Amino acid sequence: MAEFSWEARSPLERALVSEPYGVQGEAGVALTEIRNFDLVQVMARRGKASEMATAAKGHFGVAAPETPKAVRTADATLIWSGPDQFFVLSKGGRQSVKSLVPIFAASASLSDQSHARVLISISGDKARALLAKLSSIDLYPAAFPVGAVAATSMDHTSVTLWRGNDAPGGRAVFNVLVFATFAESLWQTMLDSGAEYGIEIGHSEELA
Amino acid sequence: MTSSQSNRLDTGGLIDRSQPLNFRFDGKTFSGFQGDTLASALVANGVKLVGRSFKYHRPRGILTAGSEEPNALVELRTGARREPNTKATTAELYEGLDAASQNRWPSLAFDVMSVNQLFAPIFVAGFYYKTFMWPAKFWEAIYEPAIRRAAGLGRAAGVADPDHYDKAWAHCDVLIAGSGPSGLAAAVAAGRTGARVILCEEDFALGGRLLSDGGTIDGMPAADWLSRTQAELAAMPDVRIMTRTTLFGVYDGGTYGAVERINDHLPSPPEHQVRQRLWRIVAKRCVVAAGALERPIVFAGNDTPGVMMASAMRTYIARYAAAPARRVALFTNNEDGWRTVGAALGAGLQVAAVIDARAEISAEHRSLASKGGFPVLHGSVSGIDGGKNGVRKISVSLTGGARAEVEADGLAVSGGWNPAVGLTSYHRGRPKWRDDIAAFVPDGAPPGMVAAGAANGAFGLGACLREGFAAGAAAARDAGHGSGSGATPVADDEAFSLAPLWHVAGKGKAFVDQQHDVTASDIELAQREGFESVEHLKRYTTLGMATDQGKTSNVAGLAIMAAVNGKSIPETGTTIYRPPYVPVAIGAFAGHHRDENFHATRLTPSHHWAAEQGAIFVDTGLWKRAQWYPRTGEKDWLESVTREVKAVRGGVGFCDVSTLGKIDVHGADAGAFLDRVYINTFSNLAVGKARYGLMLREDGIVYDDGTTSRLAEDHYFLTTTTAKAGLVMQHLEFCRQVLFPELDVQLTSVSDQWAQFSIAGPRTRDLLKEIVDPSEDLSNEGFPFMGAREVALRGGIRARLFRISFSGEMAFEISVPARYGEAMARNLMIAGKPFGVTPYGTEALGVMRIEKGHVAGPELSGTTTAADLGLGKMMSTKKDFIGRVMAGREALVAADRQVVVGIKPIDKARRLRSGAHIIPKGETPGPDNDQGYVTSVCFSPTSDQWIGLALVERGRERIGEIVHAHDPLRGEDYDVEICNPVFYDPDGGRQRG
Repeated sequence: MAEFSWEARSPLERALVSEPYGVQGEAGVALTEIRNFDLVQVMARRGKASEMATAAKGHFGVAAPETPKAVRTADATLIWSGPDQFFVLSKGGRQSVKSLVPIFAASASLSDQSHARVLISISGDKARALLAKLSSIDLYPAAFPVGAVAATSMDHTSVTLWRGNDAPGGRAVFNVLVFATFAESLWQTMLDSGAEYGIEIGHSEELA
Repeated sequence: MTSSQSNRLDTGGLIDRSQPLNFRFDGKTFSGFQGDTLASALVANGVKLVGRSFKYHRPRGILTAGSEEPNALVELRTGARREPNTKATTAELYEGLDAASQNRWPSLAFDVMSVNQLFAPIFVAGFYYKTFMWPAKFWEAIYEPAIRRAAGLGRAAGVADPDHYDKAWAHCDVLIAGSGPSGLAAAVAAGRTGARVILCEEDFALGGRLLSDGGTIDGMPAADWLSRTQAELAAMPDVRIMTRTTLFGVYDGGTYGAVERINDHLPSPPEHQVRQRLWRIVAKRCVVAAGALERPIVFAGNDTPGVMMASAMRTYIARYAAAPARRVALFTNNEDGWRTVGAALGAGLQVAAVIDARAEISAEHRSLASKGGFPVLHGSVSGIDGGKNGVRKISVSLTGGARAEVEADGLAVSGGWNPAVGLTSYHRGRPKWRDDIAAFVPDGAPPGMVAAGAANGAFGLGACLREGFAAGAAAARDAGHGSGSGATPVADDEAFSLAPLWHVAGKGKAFVDQQHDVTASDIELAQREGFESVEHLKRYTTLGMATDQGKTSNVAGLAIMAAVNGKSIPETGTTIYRPPYVPVAIGAFAGHHRDENFHATRLTPSHHWAAEQGAIFVDTGLWKRAQWYPRTGEKDWLESVTREVKAVRGGVGFCDVSTLGKIDVHGADAGAFLDRVYINTFSNLAVGKARYGLMLREDGIVYDDGTTSRLAEDHYFLTTTTAKAGLVMQHLEFCRQVLFPELDVQLTSVSDQWAQFSIAGPRTRDLLKEIVDPSEDLSNEGFPFMGAREVALRGGIRARLFRISFSGEMAFEISVPARYGEAMARNLMIAGKPFGVTPYGTEALGVMRIEKGHVAGPELSGTTTAADLGLGKMMSTKKDFIGRVMAGREALVAADRQVVVGIKPIDKARRLRSGAHIIPKGETPGPDNDQGYVTSVCFSPTSDQWIGLALVERGRERIGEIVHAHDPLRGEDYDVEICNPVFYDPDGGRQRG
């Protein structure tokens, strides 16, 4: 019998070329794809929002966001995705759908979205300038502080956008979760829009 | 004067004389300086004739120094970058600029079409409407192209624009339009409070009229105040100054449109940069400090080159150190016009005369006249002697009836000022008339917006500063920022006096709208013919409909209409103001969304594998789907598709069907929810089973279909068609949140989570046995038709397996998490190799579904009922569901409805085409006997002929009847036989076996 290997391939595997793009010199924008993460959508069962919140608090040690915010736990990021629902983003299978099923069995429905999204992290001096071309959200530091989340659209595509912790040196870091089948298209738009600033391109296995 | 620039003044101006620039106009080389516009450089070189007019091909010069210019339109740049109708007055000069005049042939100085002037009496308002009416079919073929050649406004490049454009959003507390004294005062007042400020200035330099008219502010020369203010604003981190940016529109919710001409002032944008950027600016407050536009007075010959707005003449002299004439006359009806006299004398130009329409002239001006040695004439200009080389002599009707003549090579005209009321009126606001300044001023504005300074009818420098400053401070406060604006800048207010004068009677053409060649007599004619309303006047004469939107002509036009109607100007009213304030290139609106990036593209998980296989892709919605996989030697698509169908029916093939919409339906009431949205029942579906479902719209018409599987007691996995994936998700969310909030149901789109492949053909099970873990039972008993469950795959991952068939063959659909999609395609090729596995595309998929009589998009057309599709029996009578009641309406259950049947041509060699009408045999085709149409066709390799599905009146009662297919679109007529829509394996043995 033939042998089968199951290599997971990012939807951006071909489009992402890890070399400078656009204007030469110091890049104004860094685009980094974060690969191989677990992403679970947690939605409260009808009338069970408080039970879900209690379960989340008990499991993660912090309250799940009830407004458009992202909160960090020891090994995951909880990202608001709508009323009475949030995403659990983690690496290394630490908070996979399988491990979360017993936690929320009585209070929430879980849907595995690990393969349904591509995660792109955007930083650099011109990160806001680039995002202003893609998003109608006001990313002014005071208007969109660390931990702010927006369920919005970019390039006619639904995305979840949030501001992660600042990078060393204080530079803002923005994260975009985009539907996997739209990812290459949005990536191309990001390259088009960011070429004038110079782009540093890479991919990483680490969550920012 | 500089030798190569005959009309360049020796000193002064805001040009950089250390940076000379060469440019070409109509093939002739000239030079100018950094800081010039094309217009100012032409003025500096003594060029007066810059274009020919739209209709009469009259010689035209430069009228203004801004974006309101009606005449000085040129084709800028060459080749693919050629841009017609570019205003020379706003085009910045750059080294190597190449411009050409428009509307002339063979040359600007000798223009054949200027004979149109001889026929002028017939080229009156409504001429085209009246003359080219008959025969109607001549319009598109003959009249319009000929008129367009003769009239036209420049030539488009005709090839794709090589440059890029983009779009961006910006946000602020206070948005300011214009950087004249009012705008700058508003910006400092708002900026000092810490408010986020965006200031948009159309020009490349800040200052507005300060750049031309100077003055004294806070005891210092305006230029010093300007540089001090610019430095203060530049030091504020939350103040953004955007030059070369026109705020062109205001939209809902405090959103504004602006276009930034980032690289229009360069020959071509630097690599990776865009030419223009379209901004959508969200502002809590907006201060419109867009200033005012000086308006002409309409008199005979007022379009002669050398006739120029008085303020524009000051601008050319003071800002650009370029003399529009050597001997200047002024025609004014107001005090402000006199400032041009001072500017001309200061630059060492001769002043020939001032013609002032007012009764009183101040002693100050009289003494200026005697010192300058020129006469002041009470009266009006009634005619111009001159031609393409410009003004020579000016005829004056003196108050009291006498006539005079003035020799001059330039005439400055001032009829007063019109506040720029565009932005404030774009939400269908109508400006109000103010008698004291004889002008329309804003009467309210869209929410959050206020006008200040000249845009609000305040014409003095001191008043502009006060109004702008107060508006800026108030806007910041309203946007949530406190005090700290500091002191208001102070300046004196100039004297204001104006005697309204719109039109001077005289012999010869007197132009109101110079860009569209609309004359005063055209307006009088329109009135005589009954087009009295300003909206009718506009459309009948095309007044104000050119690219300048009548900025210099509208008010004069309606004043003339008011006069001939015997009404007041406010009674006559204005036309509706609409954005954009200046023309905006379509490219800027498109941004990066052009060519292959016109819209977002969705790629299936196996896309790149399919591309490697040489697949031909088809756009279906946003998706790229593999349509077929050609092989070497195949002569056309039909050969490839036929091979793929035969390979599936005879062996095994697979197809990426990940484009189907996929929805997780969770919750204790998931089954009850599905019972309400589908016509058939899902609450009784066993865990581990799949069922075909059909949903209706509220009106009883079929909405969508697909298979839904029950994966757990409280978890269904629902699929939709590719086309309706997003809409069905929306529909279900609406049902969940609004119609049935009492149900415990959660919905999540998992369309992108799963890569799903259909594997079909008699060898399907053999292939699956290779790839599925041997512990899984795939036998007919262990995994029967419509089974659905998770299985382990060899190599370590898990998949969902559904035994469903669209092709009519023994088939499964297999789902793996999407990042394994490409591996799945490769592994299916490996596992299926011994069985000749064949990847197939959407064409083969379509052929097999037609052979099997399955309905799809063409039949689910938004007009068909479940019964029309042959699925009426699926409608449960034991429960309620969306669309049930309305589906029972008389017309929806009528016996003569068009229903799905099969058709095959009587001539077996004939190709069928969808869209053909079905007509009873022997009858003449027509709407009265049109009994339906062909919805889907294919060449069926199994039947070895073309077959189709059709919607035919009473079709199911007419199996075996020969009818006529009438296809007027393609000019085809032929007979077809109505048959059972299931052409292949009608008892379904193959898919169950």
